[in-house]
Formats: sequence, structure tokens, C-alpha cells
Amino acid sequence: MLVLTLVTVGPALYLLITSLTPLTPVNPDSAFDFSDPLGNYQSIVTTDEFWRSVWVQIELSAVTVATQLAAGLGLALLLDRPSRFLEALRTGFLVPMVLPPIVVAIIWKILYTPGISPLHHLAAWLGLPFHSLITNASTAIWAIAVADTWEWFPFTMLMLLAALQMVPMEPQEAARIDGANAMQLFWHVRLPYIRPTLVVCVLFRLIDSIKAFPLIYVLTDGGPGGATEVTNYYAFAQTFSFSYWGYGSAVATLMVVGVFILSVVVNRLGGEAIDE
Amino acid sequence: MSRRSTRRSMTGRLITGRLAFGEGVAVLILAAVLSPALWLLQMSFRHNADIMSTRLTVALTLENYTALWTGQFPASFVNSLLASGISTAFSLVLGVPAAYALARWRFRGERHIALWILATRMAPPIAFTIPFFLAFTWAGLMDTVTGLAMIYVTFNLALVIWSMRGFFAAVPRSLEEAAWIDGCGVWGAFLRIALPLSAPGLAATGILCFILSWNDFFYALILTRTRAMTAPVAIVNFMQYAGWEWGKIAAAGVLVMLPVLVFTFFVRGYLVSGLMAGGVKE
Repeated sequence: MLVLTLVTVGPALYLLITSLTPLTPVNPDSAFDFSDPLGNYQSIVTTDEFWRSVWVQIELSAVTVATQLAAGLGLALLLDRPSRFLEALRTGFLVPMVLPPIVVAIIWKILYTPGISPLHHLAAWLGLPFHSLITNASTAIWAIAVADTWEWFPFTMLMLLAALQMVPMEPQEAARIDGANAMQLFWHVRLPYIRPTLVVCVLFRLIDSIKAFPLIYVLTDGGPGGATEVTNYYAFAQTFSFSYWGYGSAVATLMVVGVFILSVVVNRLGGEAIDE
Repeated sequence: MSRRSTRRSMTGRLITGRLAFGEGVAVLILAAVLSPALWLLQMSFRHNADIMSTRLTVALTLENYTALWTGQFPASFVNSLLASGISTAFSLVLGVPAAYALARWRFRGERHIALWILATRMAPPIAFTIPFFLAFTWAGLMDTVTGLAMIYVTFNLALVIWSMRGFFAAVPRSLEEAAWIDGCGVWGAFLRIALPLSAPGLAATGILCFILSWNDFFYALILTRTRAMTAPVAIVNFMQYAGWEWGKIAAAGVLVMLPVLVFTFFVRGYLVSGLMAGGVKE
């Protein structure tokens, strides 16, 4: 137990300490320079790129969580029938989620690269050619959102499917006898039962979306012009491309704080979801 | 009519009503969902000259795979196998007894363990990579498979403890008590009773650990250079240095996803609960 605490808390402390120094690998002495402990945090707050990355993050998270929830719920409702055949299909839907993320990134790099992409070929054949989506600043983020949705809708689908199958039969039958149509049945009977799971799904995907990396790394590298540079990517670039270790650590620390707050919320709501 | 058609297989049932309609739609959606991955698969068998071609009927070839075989790729593939295999073994050896202890004896910090598992699942990897990078440079673990495996152990351990605890809890306690009476020690009862009875769970947990380590890109990208480079990082290097050899990239992608797909098929039932570890309490 002690070891476990050490390997998790240790790095966190180290990160916090580093975030208080202007550390760069060029100047090793800077690791112990605590003359201006909050300097990194001050410059973060005044850096436009940081705020832009936060905004890009919010945009990407909001869009992907919403689409994953919609697609996941739709499919879960479709697959929630007593059928061995549908049960077998379920495994197929797992594929995007279990594929190595780097392979997902390659697949979409291929789909988004004119010349080799079947999508571009098809569009040209239909007489509707379009330019590369990932090199255009206004569409790049949407292109990433589509790929991310493809990768992660199975997660929401599985969670919601499990929740739907826990909904007791009696109230559903009672509602049906009372003449409720499919829509009313869903809205008034099934939705209240799966609402806690929906909340957990949203929070899980929200937190995971903050970590999105391989897709952005391979598809756009944060570009064009920072249009897809989420906070995680910003911290990565500042640290490992520009060697601002202290600054990168400070950004990462802020991310940990944000994720921690979200985790506490998940833990609380998740607990409620099960208690009910 | 309807009786006869139910006796006929899938195609017959498609006309019998709403259920079959739903199944048909599900099949179509599944096909659409899988098509990007299938496109990668067929691309890996194309000659480089045919990569740009729109025709689906082109001559197939294994030249992309043989080209991979003669290059640097096999070494990185072995690195991936080693890092994932070693970390899985260590996580199981350390985590399984811990999980057993947690399942059988009450501890004060049970809630904290759940939170800790959640934390390792939730924390952005960048927060761990910076300290690990500095520590690894200092300890000479940069660009080593050992270093990479160590990181994977930290993350897999949480998963092992969480999921194995559930499996052990399902083993009836009385069996072990009987073994104690027959003269088995605590370890004896664990090794001879509890462990064999939770073997399927153990296999599933091990496979899940392997997949999660195998799929890692971020840590491997930052903490390896050349010697310990893993397969996912090697693919990205093809993209940057090899002048966009799409055939080779696709073939490498197929090789990297193959073990995962095979394993997934075996543990599909457990996978769901494993991937959600920490999200839902027992």
C-alpha cells in the first residue's frame, strides 16, 4: 500500500515542485531555483495561447461528449432487444474502442488525406470534391471530433446498454398497457432509470477527452495555427518541443487539479448511481 | 409462413417484423463503423503503385509486410511485446495477492483504494511523464524497456487489484476454511483453492493489462528514443521519415492491431467491466 501511494503521490509532488521552478534541460541548476515560485503560473494566466488551448479543449470536449452520448444511446436502444444475434454483433461494435489509439489515428489520417482517401475519391466521383479537412483551420477540429466520436462511442454504448438491461420489466409493461408509445415509454420510464449512468458517461468521457493525444498528434500536430491545440497538447509541446519544463509542469498541474475536481464529482455521482 | 421463415436462418427472419428490422439496421451500422478499419486492412495488401487507385479489384501482395520484416520494425514489435509482457507479469504477481488480501480481510482504507484507482485512471498522462522523464534521465532508465515496463506496472496494478478483488470475492469462503482445517496455510489455500477457481478472471485481467500496455503511445513516445522504441512509435516514425509509404504504414498498423483484436475476442465479456474499472462500484 505504501509503495502504491509512493508511485502515485511521488510523481504528483515532483510535478508540483517542478512547476514552481523555471526548469529547462539547458540549465540543470534551474531545478532548484525557487526564487519566483509562482512565475510560471503568472505567465500562464497572461498567455493567450494557453487560454486558446483551454477554449479549443472546451469546444472539442463539448462536441465529442455530445456526439458520443447521442450515438451511444441510439445504438444502445437499437441493440437492447432479446436477441442472440444482436449480442454477437455487440462485440463488433467494441472494435474502435479497443484498437490501439495510434492505429485509429492512422486510419483517420488515411481517410483525411486527399489522394489516398476513399472519402475524397468518392466525393470527387460524385462531383463534390473538397479540400483536406485537417489542414483547414476552421474544419480541423471537426475532423478530429468525428474521429474521436468513432473511437469512443462504443464506451457510452456499452455503459448505456448495461443500464438499459437493468431497467425492470414491470413498469415498462404497465406503461405499455396504459397505452404509452415507444417515445413516451423511453422518456418517462426508461430514461429516469438510466439517468445516473448517463451522468457517469458524460463525466468519464469529459475527463478522457482532456487526455486526447494520438489523434491530434498524428492528424494535425495541434495545427493549423493552433486550431486543434488542446491544453494537454499545449503542455506537451511546451515541455517536450520547446523544453520549458517548469512552465509545462505548471500547465500539467492545473490540468491535474481540474481533472481531480471532475473525478470527485464522478466518484460522488457514481456512488449515487449505484446506491439507487 | 412466419413459422417457416423463423426456421430459416437470418435472411428469412428479416421479413418477419420489427425485431428483424432492428437487426438489419444494426448490421448496416456495424458495417459502416468497421469500414475504416477494413480499409486499412485492404490497403496493407496493395502494391505501392495501387495505393492511390480507387479500384477495389487490384492485385494483392505481401510486399508491405516483407518490407517491414527486413527493416527496424520487428525490433520495435519485440520491444512492445517485452514491455507489455513484463509489465503484465509483474502487475499480476504484485497485484493478485494484494487483491486477495483485500477481498478476504477488511481494511480501513477501502474507499481510498477506489479513489486511488480512479485517480490513476483519470490523471492526464502528461502529469506523470514530466516527473518520470526527469527521474528516468537521472536513473539511466531513459530509452529502456525496463523503464517503460515499470510505468505500465504502476497503471496496471490498480486495474489488477480492482478486478481480481471482485473475482476473489465471488469464490465461496467456506472452501478455503475447509482447506485451512485440512492443514493448508493461508498461502496454500490461496494457491490451491482461490487462484484456480478464479483462473478465468485471472486470464481476463492479464489480457486486459496486456492490451492497455500494448496500446500505449504517449509514454513510449516520450520515454523511448531508438533502442526501446515500441511498435506504435515506430509507425509514427514511418510517417515522418519514410516518405509516406502508405502501404508499409497500413501493414504496420494491421500488425499492431492484430494481437489486440484476437485478445479482445477472447475476453469480450470481461473487457466491458475492466475498461470501466473505477467508474462503477460493486
